Amino acid sequence: MPWVLSKLVHGGLLVLGVTLISFSLMVWFGPDQTYTLIGKNATEAQIAEVREQLGYDQSFVKRYGRYLSDLFTLNLGSSNSSGESVSRILQRTIPVTLALMLPGFILGNVLGIALALLATWKKDQWTDRLITGMSVTGMSISFLVVIIFLQVLLCTPYGLNLFPVRGWQVTGLVSYFHYVTVPTLSLVFITLGYNTRFYRAIFVEEAGKDHIRTVKAYGASTMAILWRHVLKNSLVPIITRFMFTIPLVVISGSLLIESYFGIPGIGKVTFDAITSGDQPVLKAVVGLTAIAFILIQVLTDFIYRLIDPRIV
Amino acid sequence: MEAASQILRRLSISRSGLMGLVIVSIFFLMALGVWVGLLGQNWSAANGERWAVPNATWWFGTNQLGQDIFERAVFSVQTAFEIGIVVSVLSTALGATLGAVAGWRSNTWIDGTVVWLAGVLDSIPFYLFVAAVAYALQGVPWAMHVAMIATFWTATGRLVRAEVMKIKTREFVLSARAIGLPGFRILLRHVLPNTMHILLIQTSITFVAAIKTEVILSFLGLGVQDGVSWGLMLAESTQEVLAGHFNNFLAASVMLFMLLMGFNLLSDALQDTFDPKQAAL
Repeated sequence: MPWVLSKLVHGGLLVLGVTLISFSLMVWFGPDQTYTLIGKNATEAQIAEVREQLGYDQSFVKRYGRYLSDLFTLNLGSSNSSGESVSRILQRTIPVTLALMLPGFILGNVLGIALALLATWKKDQWTDRLITGMSVTGMSISFLVVIIFLQVLLCTPYGLNLFPVRGWQVTGLVSYFHYVTVPTLSLVFITLGYNTRFYRAIFVEEAGKDHIRTVKAYGASTMAILWRHVLKNSLVPIITRFMFTIPLVVISGSLLIESYFGIPGIGKVTFDAITSGDQPVLKAVVGLTAIAFILIQVLTDFIYRLIDPRIV
Repeated sequence: MEAASQILRRLSISRSGLMGLVIVSIFFLMALGVWVGLLGQNWSAANGERWAVPNATWWFGTNQLGQDIFERAVFSVQTAFEIGIVVSVLSTALGATLGAVAGWRSNTWIDGTVVWLAGVLDSIPFYLFVAAVAYALQGVPWAMHVAMIATFWTATGRLVRAEVMKIKTREFVLSARAIGLPGFRILLRHVLPNTMHILLIQTSITFVAAIKTEVILSFLGLGVQDGVSWGLMLAESTQEVLAGHFNNFLAASVMLFMLLMGFNLLSDALQDTFDPKQAAL
């Protein structure tokens, strides 16, 4: 039980730090919101009223406390530019982002693991060298370049012209595949190099261990060794990778993909909030994703325990 | 100097590492050329016709405004190096300092604070953090650099901390303590120099990360504010490619790819040379 407690305390301290940073950056040191909220020719009294509403007359600790309690009670206010409530916006956009990003994220990891297993199997042969070389090449190509290239290749008359250039008019499964294919391919392309390289390093290390040599000596087939011993014993780093990159790939990736393809997900909303300085939206997105990430970290620790009871 | 020639000798064993070094050196010379005023000086002059095809005057053609794409692509080499050097050197230095102090004073409140800070910074999705910094520092041209340095140091910090914790139990450190050298001096003169290989590799890795990040941030409007960079060229090209004009896109993406590939090959070779156990990670 003290283990659970220490993990929770650790997570709590991280949440405190993350919210402190996002509060300081966006609220305390952030631009003064008074004049974006009131119209022209406001009277002294109106200005004072808005400032009081925003809490500008209060101390750092008090305002940070209010920010925290707002975040935890999901009292997120409403967008400065559209007036829509922030929790409504999140409810509307998060499903779109998950539907957009998850296929590419999962495919990128599965393909990465498959290629890494193949490279480990054929270690130091030309297959391995080809896979390693391809992943370094993939790592040297910018995300933006991949997106532009695939868009021209697949969505314009200059290429194959198979998919829509931009947008997200999803009504059923067919239109879903129609709109999700190019973003998914971009995401797979951009994560595959990093994933393959990461998993290969883990598998190669595992394959070099003594117990694998023993299994080999007993005459197990290469496939069985890779599948039953190397992959299974690498589960902990694989899960770590998977869990820890979810928020980074989904959030950071969606920021670029959605603003590029004009898809109404959380990334597009965030991008618009950045360019228009929409503080309530930015506050909510930064605070909530960071908290979600920390929850994932704590959750990952519990999963480790389930997989491998030796881990403390 | 002797150390440098030794590194070169060991790098030359690997063909791909040498190739990386050659590519990076060529780009570095181009950046120097721009810096002293020999190359890429007409990057902003809009004196050509719009979307000219590559010819003897306009080697890579012109963009929407009639600007010379070749000049812009070459000037961007300097922008890339400026961002890469500032961010990689400062973030590695910050990571080395915090990591060394945390490792030297492990299991004290100083160590706890550094580890906590690194955990906090790693918990904020990077582009959101940059967005927040850019939001807080509106109009400050260094917002992008500050954001990258503030987040990139954590990886170096963790590595240096672990290494320092290992080194400080070694005999030479114990004997330095036994003869009564002050702790700070031991850390600076005897422990930190032994983490040089980590710092070198991390500088190279963060250089790549900084350039790649600049491209995304410039596209999002959070990056380079004045001047030109491959990221800005790619951002311009997103409209042009839909109209069938690919010169801007090709120039920026090919040069970006070559520089990143050079640095990745170099990083791999450095890793193989200094840290064969961690190689290929």
